Amino acid sequence: MTNAVAGLGLAPDAAMVTFPIEMFLPGSDISPLERRKREFYEGLTRWRSALAAADGGEPPMVRVEGATFEQALARANHVMLANRWGDGLPLWPPTRERVDWILRGAASPRRRTLGTFPPRGGVTTIESCAIALAMAGGRPEYLPVLVAAVGAFLDPESGSAQLQAASGSAFPVVIVNGPIGGLIRLNAAFGCLGPDPQRPAGASIGRALRLLQQNLGGALPGIGTMANYGGMRYTNVVFAEDEASLPAGWETHAAERHAFAPGISSISLAFASGATNIRRRGAKKETPEEDALQGMHRMADFMRVPNLAGLAGYEHGTPGILLLPGVVAQTMAGLGWTKASMREFFWEHSRIPAEHLRRAGGPAWIEIDTSKVVRDSITLDPWPITARAENFVIVVAGGGHPTNSYWLQGYSPGVVGRVIDVPGSFAQLLEDAESDLGPR
Amino acid sequence: MVTLEFHDPSGAIEVTRPHAARVGTLEGKRVGFVSNEQWQAYRMLPRLKSLLEADFPGIEVLPIDAFPQGNGVIGSEETAALVKASGVDAVIIGNAA
Repeated sequence: MTNAVAGLGLAPDAAMVTFPIEMFLPGSDISPLERRKREFYEGLTRWRSALAAADGGEPPMVRVEGATFEQALARANHVMLANRWGDGLPLWPPTRERVDWILRGAASPRRRTLGTFPPRGGVTTIESCAIALAMAGGRPEYLPVLVAAVGAFLDPESGSAQLQAASGSAFPVVIVNGPIGGLIRLNAAFGCLGPDPQRPAGASIGRALRLLQQNLGGALPGIGTMANYGGMRYTNVVFAEDEASLPAGWETHAAERHAFAPGISSISLAFASGATNIRRRGAKKETPEEDALQGMHRMADFMRVPNLAGLAGYEHGTPGILLLPGVVAQTMAGLGWTKASMREFFWEHSRIPAEHLRRAGGPAWIEIDTSKVVRDSITLDPWPITARAENFVIVVAGGGHPTNSYWLQGYSPGVVGRVIDVPGSFAQLLEDAESDLGPR
Repeated sequence: MVTLEFHDPSGAIEVTRPHAARVGTLEGKRVGFVSNEQWQAYRMLPRLKSLLEADFPGIEVLPIDAFPQGNGVIGSEETAALVKASGVDAVIIGNAA
């Protein structure tokens, strides 16, 4: 709550009366309300903000000392954890030297403001991104992707203001299209969701985004975010589409969803709340057509679940992101499938019979939704899990092996795209990376 | 001795507007509720209404449904305008969990 009021430009405290969660459950004893009624009365009459004087200035630099570099580094990590700035894994201290190095990847001035990070409202600048990327072990050539992802995250269409604090454990998924993915060693193939020391960019970029969510956005578990599980939040999900494996005639995700022209480097950000591997391939003597169709049904069956996470993006977002290996995409294309026809199949075959929806309590959630499109959908039987087939996101990514596909269950009011801006010195940054890390 | 100096990553917070002024007393005042209808608000807010009415002479507490209810609408400018137009002196917002 304090994060939320700070995000509105108010001082980061509020007149609140808090009770244990048990009082908010069905059938609870609400008599504590009467015993503590004076706290409500005082909140309306006597309460004063203790933090009204926050001036928007940058906090001072942090200084630690040690007898050796090793001791100073350990001390810095202890301070960062004690201040709740870390994620439990070792961090690079964001020294001036390291942050300035990262800022070599900036395409705009370090003080440029990108917005305020919800819900706490931390002022977010290019430098804020560089600080987080420095802590996460990143490199200058990663910064353009992070800045674009942060821009999309802060777009109200993304729904981040609610999802940052919500209990559903939503995590951002950043899909990169265009040449930058390969240039900065972002993974599109085997192990593309990480970790991968050969293509380490996604881990650092995603971790930096998570640190921003926490340090500027206030998403501390149990304090600023009520995410029950917080799954995938160390590094979020950052990967590239395997454009080299796209079948002829299949458009990139960026072109389909955001109308970005081929060859433009861009990101696309959505939120997910689950990740499931789907064994797509057949096991015996299936014909190519049977193998494809059985796999399609198996994927649709995974999508046909009445847990209603997709309501958030029912109208404009996505029910989820399907990752399909390039070798499978090629086979499917050979049988006449396109991304569009696959979406139509999933939309048709993931519908939930009204009886199944009712027994799972689905109608109540649909009835209270703010979207008229969602509320009106309650008359449909079977009930489509999203308003239109186009909302399904299909991305060609993953290792060159036909057995599996991957479903990132959507919890995403929008799917937000951004073109990536790189600095004029970008080629030099790539040369430096070659020198530091070896050939790509 | 080795010294490391590094940025505080929590950044800056800007306070651009003050919290609402408090009322001196609740006696004789008009109080409203803005409810998201979640987390037992349908039981707790009416109880609070009764407590206020019992403890403060002359207080007028508006019905729980005097303003639009639900998470999707209570943060809107339209709801804020309705609250202002109602002439309430104070508002209680609930419930969060």
